[in-house]
Amino acid sequence: MATLLRRYGTLIGFLAILIFFSVNLPDTFMTARNWLNISQQLSMLIVAAAGMTIVMVMGDFDLSVGSMASFAGIVAALLFTLGYPVWLAVALALLVGLAGGAFNGVLVSFIGILPFVATLATLTMFSGLAFVVSGGKTIFGRDIPESFANFAREGIALGDFGGVAIALPNLTIAAAIMVLVVWVLLEQTTFGRRLYAIGGNIEAAHLSGVAVRRLKLIAFSLTGFSASVAGLMYASRVASANPTQGSGLMLNAIAAVFLGMTMSEQSEPRILATLIGVLILGVLDNGLTQMSVDSYVRQVLVGGIIVLAVASSSISKRAR
Amino acid sequence: MTLISLQNVSKSYAGVPALRAVNLTIEAGEIHALVGENGAGKSTLIKVLAGVVAPDTAEIMIDGQPAAIDSPATAYRLGLRFIHQEFNVVPALSVAENIFMGRRYPLRAGVLVDWQRLNRTAGEALSLLGITHIDPRRKMAGLSLGDQMLVRISSAFLGADGAVARLYVMDEPTAVLTRQESERLFRVLREIGSTGGSVLYVSHRLDEVMTLCDKATVLRDGKTIDTGKIAEITHDDLVALMIGRRVEEAYPRAAAAPLAEVALEVMGLRAEGLKPLSMSIRKGEILGVAGLPGSGQRELLRALFGALPLQGGTMRLGDRPYLSRSPTSAWASGLAYVPRERRSEGLALSRPIFENMTLAHLKRLSLGGAFLTPRKERRFATAMGENVRLRSAGPGQLCLELSGGNQQKVVFAKALGGNPDVLLLDEPTRGVDVGAKFDIYSIIRGMTAKGMAVILVSSDLPELIGMCDRIAVMREGAITEVVDAAGLGEDDLLNRCYGRAASVLAAIRA
Repeated sequence: MATLLRRYGTLIGFLAILIFFSVNLPDTFMTARNWLNISQQLSMLIVAAAGMTIVMVMGDFDLSVGSMASFAGIVAALLFTLGYPVWLAVALALLVGLAGGAFNGVLVSFIGILPFVATLATLTMFSGLAFVVSGGKTIFGRDIPESFANFAREGIALGDFGGVAIALPNLTIAAAIMVLVVWVLLEQTTFGRRLYAIGGNIEAAHLSGVAVRRLKLIAFSLTGFSASVAGLMYASRVASANPTQGSGLMLNAIAAVFLGMTMSEQSEPRILATLIGVLILGVLDNGLTQMSVDSYVRQVLVGGIIVLAVASSSISKRAR
Repeated sequence: MTLISLQNVSKSYAGVPALRAVNLTIEAGEIHALVGENGAGKSTLIKVLAGVVAPDTAEIMIDGQPAAIDSPATAYRLGLRFIHQEFNVVPALSVAENIFMGRRYPLRAGVLVDWQRLNRTAGEALSLLGITHIDPRRKMAGLSLGDQMLVRISSAFLGADGAVARLYVMDEPTAVLTRQESERLFRVLREIGSTGGSVLYVSHRLDEVMTLCDKATVLRDGKTIDTGKIAEITHDDLVALMIGRRVEEAYPRAAAAPLAEVALEVMGLRAEGLKPLSMSIRKGEILGVAGLPGSGQRELLRALFGALPLQGGTMRLGDRPYLSRSPTSAWASGLAYVPRERRSEGLALSRPIFENMTLAHLKRLSLGGAFLTPRKERRFATAMGENVRLRSAGPGQLCLELSGGNQQKVVFAKALGGNPDVLLLDEPTRGVDVGAKFDIYSIIRGMTAKGMAVILVSSDLPELIGMCDRIAVMREGAITEVVDAAGLGEDDLLNRCYGRAASVLAAIRA
């Protein structure tokens, strides 16, 4: 019973939240439209949290994902204004994410700075760069090409439901692809196995021939890359780029991974558990908004639920 | 008059007895030695005395009154002072602050720290040991290891708040001290003895025990073997009591003699903590490495394995040149390593057995080096588990659920999984129960019979003599000599570790 609760406590909590909202919002909550809406709203967070999971598997984390997301959006928008074709601007923005992540990786693995300090510094750097490059202004309107903005508005048509056309949003598809890629990477490749070994015991991994430094560099690069993907998705969704628009991603991404970690026996980050973590945060937000709970009260409630989940899982672990 | 008496002290860890009905009696004004091999139970006994470890059974009397030592605070109140083997200083704080660690600081006006008095009192504690060259206001970090040790020792002599010091327990206090510093410490200890205080002195350095102590208690395999006056025993008898049993039956015999071909040759190897050293080992040979703790054994293995950067020298592995750039390249070149600390260096305890075993061999056990093939890995882990006689619930079991001996077998399985040419072992049987020990010896023998070369670092002298063909003796980062293990006596080997040839010793006695 205790084992069951430890293992599935978070999942049970998630189900309780779903039931609560279904009862209180019978007409609007459990509908295909609402869920597609939630999935679209969460798609950026899913991508950022998936990237965060990669470094957290090694026991590290990356505070710079939010400012990297903003920076990547600004870079793409700026290149649009300079007349670059959409594909090239997007590719260069993604490259910036990869390079920024690699910079984090070099600081952490080759120079040996604690991830907290290193990524706190790069958080400030990326954010400052976004302001410098954009001149502190939001880039929007005619500067953003239609094809870029349309990506977030469109989707794959699923058909008619009660006379309403329903489509699977492109953003949701992008998030799903990201989750799939990270799942394959972490669960099905030697790369992922080695990351988990580093997280389990870095010294033992090193002595077992795992190239710890190189892998950390790659892992941080991937996290930076996924942050830039999330940033571009955001820019497409709001058809504009602003030097602070990604700043909410970092705390939520870390919170989602932590929520996910409460679901595993050894408190390890798992990508599918992270996905549940994101859903918990997103569903709470969606449901409480629909029940017109004040947004500040919502923050307090969401924070409280994170504390509850993590505390109950660490207490039940200590109890054995 | 008896100061403290411990009777019938027993303690088991997870069913493995560390102490079995041990007795120890210390008189007031006595310097009492506690001697025994590694793993004999000395540390556990001290921890019981310090209130750190709760014994399963124990009758403790102090001044003839029953006493219970249930916490370090109680031990302190009862007048017991400890200088533990492991260093625990705070480098960022001053010498005086380290001396006052865990005590109440002298105050001014009831709230502000009286730094002048703090520094003066600390200076007085230091001067008791005749130390005048250490300023109490200096940062601990700037001090040499020997000076740091002196500071820690002084803190035990600090005027007690309320509780009078009765017994000083010193665990290997001279390990990092110079001759002069040790002599000064001994003078202070003798003075403590002459003024009615007692000392329990734990040391591997038997010559110190012979000159300093009044009495000795010998522990072996967690049991009290004997207690007696130092004046009535010779150095060699003491060694014999410590070592005790004959060794022949504890080790499986070699099936074949080493081959003539050289497996690994090292010329002028240099690395931090190592003086330039050369050696060679043949296929099928077991080369032991003996020496006092910290003589460079660990550094030697790590340098060979690429975990410690080389500063010079060349190596040949079979007929190829070998460069140990990293553990990754060492594994690929046919070396394997069983590190000393299996929990912190050998295993990811929260991961399953098979993941630990295959970690060094993933390239071979995956699809194109990239995609995992869990079924193949589990088959490999099951087969390797049988090879090393692992007792587990299956390859998916987490390593933290295994006993110490079985965890060590997982580390062995990982090391042997790639059929290495050279196997490096650092204390492979430490903390391993007797049955698993024999299994591990048999595995080593089985592999050398197939031509694998083994370098075995151990502080267990009978193990070295029982398993090895030759033994290299290390002292202060250098190999001082390489001797044949056949017919070698344990006391002879121990003396070589201390740097005294048996013949010289005999001459001194005569």
